Amino acid sequence: MDFHFDAADERFRDELRAFVDATLPGWWRGMFVDDPRAIPFTREFCRELAARDWLALAWPPEHGGAGASAWTQTVLREEMWAAEEPRGPQYMNLNYIGPLLMRYGSDEQRSRFLPPMARGEVIWCQGFSEPDAGSDLASLRTRARPHDRGFVVDGTKIWTSYADSPADWCLLLARSDPGATRHEGISVLLVDMTTTGITVRPIDTMAGPHEFNEVTFDGVVVPGDCLLGQPGRGWELVSAGLTFERVGIARYARAARVLEHLVAYANESGRSREPIVRARLAGLRARCEAARLLAYRAVSLQARGIVPTVEASTARIHATQLEQEVSHAGLELLGPLGLLRSADPAAPLAGEVQRHFVRNIPTTVAAGTLEIQKNIVARRGLGLPREP
Amino acid sequence: MDLTRTDEQAILADTAAAFVSRECPLARVRTIEASGDWHDPTLWTAMADLGWCGLALPTEYGGAGQGLLDVAVLAEQLGRGPVPSPLLESTTLAALPIAWMGSPAQRRRFLPALASGRAIGTCAVFEPGMSDAWSDVARRGAPRLDGHKLLVPWANIADVLLVATATGLWVVDRDNRSWACERHDAFAGTPLFAVTLDDAQAEPLGPFGPADDVAGPETTRRVLDATAVVQLAYAVGAAEACLDLAVRHASEREQFGRPIGAFQAVAHRCVDMRTDIDACRYLAYRAAWAFDCEPHDTTLAVAAALTYAADALRRIFVHAHQVHGASGFSTEQDLHLFTRRLTELEIRFATSPRHQEQLARAMGMTTDTA
Repeated sequence: MDFHFDAADERFRDELRAFVDATLPGWWRGMFVDDPRAIPFTREFCRELAARDWLALAWPPEHGGAGASAWTQTVLREEMWAAEEPRGPQYMNLNYIGPLLMRYGSDEQRSRFLPPMARGEVIWCQGFSEPDAGSDLASLRTRARPHDRGFVVDGTKIWTSYADSPADWCLLLARSDPGATRHEGISVLLVDMTTTGITVRPIDTMAGPHEFNEVTFDGVVVPGDCLLGQPGRGWELVSAGLTFERVGIARYARAARVLEHLVAYANESGRSREPIVRARLAGLRARCEAARLLAYRAVSLQARGIVPTVEASTARIHATQLEQEVSHAGLELLGPLGLLRSADPAAPLAGEVQRHFVRNIPTTVAAGTLEIQKNIVARRGLGLPREP
Repeated sequence: MDLTRTDEQAILADTAAAFVSRECPLARVRTIEASGDWHDPTLWTAMADLGWCGLALPTEYGGAGQGLLDVAVLAEQLGRGPVPSPLLESTTLAALPIAWMGSPAQRRRFLPALASGRAIGTCAVFEPGMSDAWSDVARRGAPRLDGHKLLVPWANIADVLLVATATGLWVVDRDNRSWACERHDAFAGTPLFAVTLDDAQAEPLGPFGPADDVAGPETTRRVLDATAVVQLAYAVGAAEACLDLAVRHASEREQFGRPIGAFQAVAHRCVDMRTDIDACRYLAYRAAWAFDCEPHDTTLAVAAALTYAADALRRIFVHAHQVHGASGFSTEQDLHLFTRRLTELEIRFATSPRHQEQLARAMGMTTDTA
């Protein structure tokens, strides 16, 4: 066991932090803000990262990556998430849509789809959840019927982030064999979002406008060469993909950054002298360390070529609740002023805490609810019997 | 960065796991606990023969020259027993402090016997009325010590006694017949003693004589931190055993026509144990690693581990008993062998507000007036 980053990774962290400080505009408040500058900025930011070989950092060189280690990639994830993810939607390409294509895609699919991702030129969204298929994802009803040119897709996807960014492509989960049992008969399609028959309806949220979308597919024709992996074997792909996604977001790094800001606020305001404040923030710092180490355990396994399903869920169980807890502790510390949003000049910490709080309301729901994560650990990690 | 065990650590853990299941099954744990001393000389010799008494001691004194992280790896496996033994406390409360701070003469005198298991060591810290303010510990004259200490583990069988005073640690040798001890009546576990020092001949630990009033408590803290980290690793092993029992019970016990583990309310308690145990394990390893690799920068890692563990060990205890229902409270079942220990370790080593305060300081919280 070794608990520190090597010197080269630490230098990379310093360089990256300096780059982020110099590049992020003062108005940057992350995604899902009512600010038309946000998405164009993330595209520009990704091109800048790509120019430095920092975008597809850990991808193999043959797919346009820099071939860096999983730990260098971890540094990148931490610094990006701590800065409210200035890569915008494109972190998904790097963390799991790209790796899924590398693992399951044909040579033709890889050479077609991976280079634009590596150059930061393309936005993907994922079509998983449906109005009636959330935690019970395998009950999804979107159909992909065979067609002489491939498939015809009909159905509705929901909670689709970035579909209106607009997304260029969608990683879509659809039932291609209605006769098969639940987990069989599901296929993954790569869908061009400009295809006729796709309608995107933005859904406003507590965090602001247009975080999510409902996407309707009405007779959408998907060419046969846009099927990823084997027909009917999509569930296996998605399980691997969700594991990559759960490892991929360094939520603990954002929690640690907000906590640093709370410490600074407590010091400046004199509240840091209150034992209850010291105890509360110290307790959260301990949880940050726990969440960080559990993420590192999952990365350690991934670095050895293992898909760390149970470990990724464990890390996520810690990190998602931590993000919520830190933001709530922040609201408690700031008191009523903490409710003020960033546009209000009286907002402490420029409204960061309430923004973090609201954004993290769905954190324990996204990418598999907390309860689903616990079910994964219960069955696959502990071998407990299936629920009725 | 790599959180997987090295080959050597994996071999150590596997050897220890095999030893525990072969040499110290639960029936023997019960026998040893019933014996009063909690010390089984046969078991002790077997562990000493494996080199575990000197695992982290320098090779020149007969040790294996490994680090505190390796001791933590061993401790976790012993905790799965739970093996009742002075081995870990002898290592961290006496042998390591002598190795770290002792004069060359003191090292030569004590370490070979501690490394080989011919001698057992411990350390006396608490005094009546003392909570967590180590700096209040009084030294009553030198080179002779008078005073009353509480909660000293293994004091009846120890050959070497370290004594925490306001000017640092002092060594008292058993040969001098210099302490009297009386067993406490404590819930849960390790034999703990009230120790009386009456004009005991002692020498300050270290080549430079008594430390000053500032350094004194610091050296004591360092010893207690290392001890707490290793004991946390032991608690992780005990908690892992609790989880095994809980999962087995939840899989076998049927109510409402199905195993209770099929109910999410029960299953998720087991998962909460799993995720807390995993966190405690890596926090303990991280802190132990800091002693080996960043010895001047251990505060945050130690404080984070123990601050987290203080809450987590209690949660694990509660979940384990809740999943077991009434049967867990019965001493005919095995659960209590582990959960009593968890509470002891939580309260002795983790709940201290000192750890929270250390963490608050390490993360930059000031106490300045604004």
